[in-house]
Amino acid sequence: NKNHGDHLLIWLLLCSLCHHGYGLLQLLHMSVFSQSFSPCGRFLAAGNNYGEIALFSLSAALSPDATRLSQKPVLTFTAHEGPIFSLVSSDCHLLSAGNGEISAWSWTELIKKTQLQVRDTHYRTVVCPTVTQHSHFVSVLRSSLEIPEINSMVLNNRDNSLVIGGGDNNVHILDLEHGIFKAVLQGHSDYVHCVSLRDREADILSGGEDGAVRIWDSRTGQTVHCIEVHKYETCARPQFGKWISCLTTESDWMLCGGGPSLSLWHLRSLSPTSTFPLSGCQRQAAFYQDMILAVGEGPNVSHCLLGGGVKAQIPCSSQSLNTLQLNMNSTEHRVLTVGGSSDHIDVFTNLSYRAFSLSF
Amino acid sequence: MSSEALKKRKSKVLRSEGGTPEMKRGRAEGDQQVSPHVIVGENTRPDDMRVYSEEVELDGRDPEQDYVQYKESCESLATLMSEIQDLKANGAKEGCPEVEQRRMQSCIHFMNLKKLNRLAHMRLKRGRDQTHEAKQKVDVLHLQLQNLLYEVMHLQKEISKCLEFKSKHEEIDLVTEEEFYQEAPQEISRPHLTKNDPHQLTLARLDWELEQRKRLAEKYKESQATKEKIQKSIEVKKEHLRSLQPGLHAIMQASLPVQEYLSMPIEQTQKQTEVARHLPPPLYVLFVQANAYGQACDKNLTLSISGDVDEAKALSKPPEDSQDDESDSDAEEEQEKTKRRRPTTGGQLDDKRREMLKRHPLSLCLDLMCKDGSILHLSFYYLMNLNIMTVKTKVSTSTDLNTAISAGDLLKSDTLLSCLYTNDQGRETPNPANRYQFDKVGIVSFADYVDELGHPYMWVQSLGGLHFPSDTSEVSLSASHMESSMKLLRGRVQSRLALHKQFASLEHSIIPVSSECQHLFPAKIISRLARWTTITHQDYMDFSYTRHVTEAGLAKDTDLYFMGVVERGTARLQAAVVLSPRYPEISPLFSLCLSWKGERSGRTDDNLRAMESEVNVFKNELQGPRPGHQLLTNQIARLCVCLDVYLETEGQDDSVEGPREFPREKMCLRTVRGPNRLKPFKYNHPQGFFSHR
Repeated sequence: NKNHGDHLLIWLLLCSLCHHGYGLLQLLHMSVFSQSFSPCGRFLAAGNNYGEIALFSLSAALSPDATRLSQKPVLTFTAHEGPIFSLVSSDCHLLSAGNGEISAWSWTELIKKTQLQVRDTHYRTVVCPTVTQHSHFVSVLRSSLEIPEINSMVLNNRDNSLVIGGGDNNVHILDLEHGIFKAVLQGHSDYVHCVSLRDREADILSGGEDGAVRIWDSRTGQTVHCIEVHKYETCARPQFGKWISCLTTESDWMLCGGGPSLSLWHLRSLSPTSTFPLSGCQRQAAFYQDMILAVGEGPNVSHCLLGGGVKAQIPCSSQSLNTLQLNMNSTEHRVLTVGGSSDHIDVFTNLSYRAFSLSF
Repeated sequence: MSSEALKKRKSKVLRSEGGTPEMKRGRAEGDQQVSPHVIVGENTRPDDMRVYSEEVELDGRDPEQDYVQYKESCESLATLMSEIQDLKANGAKEGCPEVEQRRMQSCIHFMNLKKLNRLAHMRLKRGRDQTHEAKQKVDVLHLQLQNLLYEVMHLQKEISKCLEFKSKHEEIDLVTEEEFYQEAPQEISRPHLTKNDPHQLTLARLDWELEQRKRLAEKYKESQATKEKIQKSIEVKKEHLRSLQPGLHAIMQASLPVQEYLSMPIEQTQKQTEVARHLPPPLYVLFVQANAYGQACDKNLTLSISGDVDEAKALSKPPEDSQDDESDSDAEEEQEKTKRRRPTTGGQLDDKRREMLKRHPLSLCLDLMCKDGSILHLSFYYLMNLNIMTVKTKVSTSTDLNTAISAGDLLKSDTLLSCLYTNDQGRETPNPANRYQFDKVGIVSFADYVDELGHPYMWVQSLGGLHFPSDTSEVSLSASHMESSMKLLRGRVQSRLALHKQFASLEHSIIPVSSECQHLFPAKIISRLARWTTITHQDYMDFSYTRHVTEAGLAKDTDLYFMGVVERGTARLQAAVVLSPRYPEISPLFSLCLSWKGERSGRTDDNLRAMESEVNVFKNELQGPRPGHQLLTNQIARLCVCLDVYLETEGQDDSVEGPREFPREKMCLRTVRGPNRLKPFKYNHPQGFFSHR
């Protein structure tokens, strides 16, 4: 608990800095790495490279009488020291991943804070939310010189656990009930970029810098399959590299890309069915209806057809994009938000054009 | 019957009927008992000399009677005709005597009718002639009447002209009548003549006026003479006083060694304060404050006053005159305004401008000496008509500084003091009233005259105690600005000199890193600075990889712009740098573009972006010892280190054979990290390895 107190102190210090707003320089060099919608779907949490989480009110920004101010965060606080590469929302918590640590923030408390703030926007006094749960990843450190980062987290609702992929080359499973690590899945030879779950089966998928996509059995903790994507000629792009930086699944289908081209795989036959001719390296992709949305290097959101063609490339305000998120939690605020190498988060109410941008 | 035939017959009758009155009478009797042979007889007797004149007959006849005759003839003719008809109807034969007789009578009646007709015609003609005659007479009379009327009008005009005549004497202001009678002597006033005759009275008054004027002219001449006499005597006295001057001077000169010996610069300070009295109020305030500050806190501050003291004296002596001048110039300006539409007033407008921008003949020179012996010369001027103060600057250094080309702008007076306080560019006049004055003479912007007149910075106005209402300033005294401004000035000069020195070595591709900052960088840096040049704002804006900086509003007109090129092997890193005039308080901003295996820039490449933030954002550790003058060179040095890391950790394409161009020499824990695969740019000092932020 001493640690807890220390963190509080640092937060208080950093919050006093936030108080003055950002310098223009900081804004100029800001990147947005992660996003998550609140369970009610009315709020969007976004994490940047300075370890800050900003809460935006979608209902305010989408309302007809929205002003420039409603595109600004309703609450900003420093959650971690390093960049926040991953944010995940459970039913009542926002989980944020910093360098070697995961913090859980109560959504109800956060929303209460934002309402407090909205009342006097002039002062923007940042009331620091308190961490309800705090897990140190440090316990599984491999090297003491550098704390490994957490690149990806996925919530497994079936057994209330969190699957974590990070800089120590392993996939960890955290039991949220007890706050302890249940299992460590070892096998990658370089750091893990992304993790994903299969809906029906208890399989965990992970993609890493070593170019492998590993399919794990969560019960035994063993690798079931290992696909080395860069060895398939249709996907390989040696000029970029072999790493896998994006990974998504839906029933029997898997989408993966990175150094190799973004490609759609059939999991039961473990073969690529189509590759997408996108120029840069992709960082995140998602299935949406009968389409695939992908972001990565380049200022565009790509709309791909399952058959392998690129249907459209929608321009965004950032030069390269890190994260894309669809708000499925609320029907009236159903939007696509995209963040990347700027302080802007582009909001798409219609998938075919950028409606406006939220900004830090 | 045609009219011509009628005439013929008429003339025949006329010729034959020219008869005597007797004959006429006879005829008249004959007319009654109409007989055909009478007529025959007439025709057959042309030799009868008695002439029958029908006109004469006409006079004797009464038209009324003729008319009755005519009626009777017609009636009898009608009865005769009806009788003939009756006879014929009764079966009378052709040529029977009753009919023949009646025919005869009818013929006579016809003849009678003819005669009457002729007479009627003649009567008509005569009536016509008479009318014509009368009309001509009336016309002549009418013409006479017109002539007379015209004459009357002309005479009336002449009369009114005479009545309107004005004499010259009416403009002369004369003394009143009562005064005239009181003062004028009898022989001029001549009351017996003038009392009743206003004409004589006016003449007399005019005489009196002439008399008086003559007398006054005489008096004027006399006064002139006395004035000249007095002036001459003054001249003489002045000469005498002037002859005293050298003697006094000699005494003063002689006393100088004594003063110096006693270390009392009485005279000098006296002189200065004497001159200072003629300073305009704002410069005087500055003079007093700077003097006080220099004596109390800053021994390295020296003050002097330069300029034409006499001119200043002339300016300050008659304050009313200057007031007049102003109103005059105002009036002239009014004229100017009305005249401006004409193109001929261009030269006049120039004069007006010059007059408006005129500065006070005296200026205040303030020399600030820095620790290293360099001196900042500040000359303060006061623009009298605009009521603002300006400053010109010059730096003189103890050592020679001509080596750096890119540093040319650093010590230019144009940029040296730019933005000493936030947004104080010193290009526009701080006095809002000047706007209207400029409009009058067509000055678009004060910035056009800044080179000539100096910069009107806000802090200069504050030092002179001039305050202009603007949105943010609170009124404060000159004294409260003195210390901070002097400190800022000194800091500015030192940072510029430090930059100057740094640029000199940067141009020789040497990055000076002081011993205090050695720990920030690894011992071995292979990338080296290849070029360091100055570029223009426009050049900077034209680069594609600086667009985000321009869009964020961080590249201002007042900033200085530079281009640094860092090279290693085939890789070439361009760094466009924005240097704020407030450096090092505001740090330089780098934008990167790397040409190596294609072109990448900080806008598109995440790692170059990370390098940008490594030098731009995490600059606090690079500042070095206060006041942080080494920031720029440390940033460049870090850029070189980052380029080394960038190139050495670049992933090797397995398919390409052969040795790597850049072998890995830096110690890195991990080469890539995080979702955007950043390279480790952070140097950890004692251990000497590179890690991620």
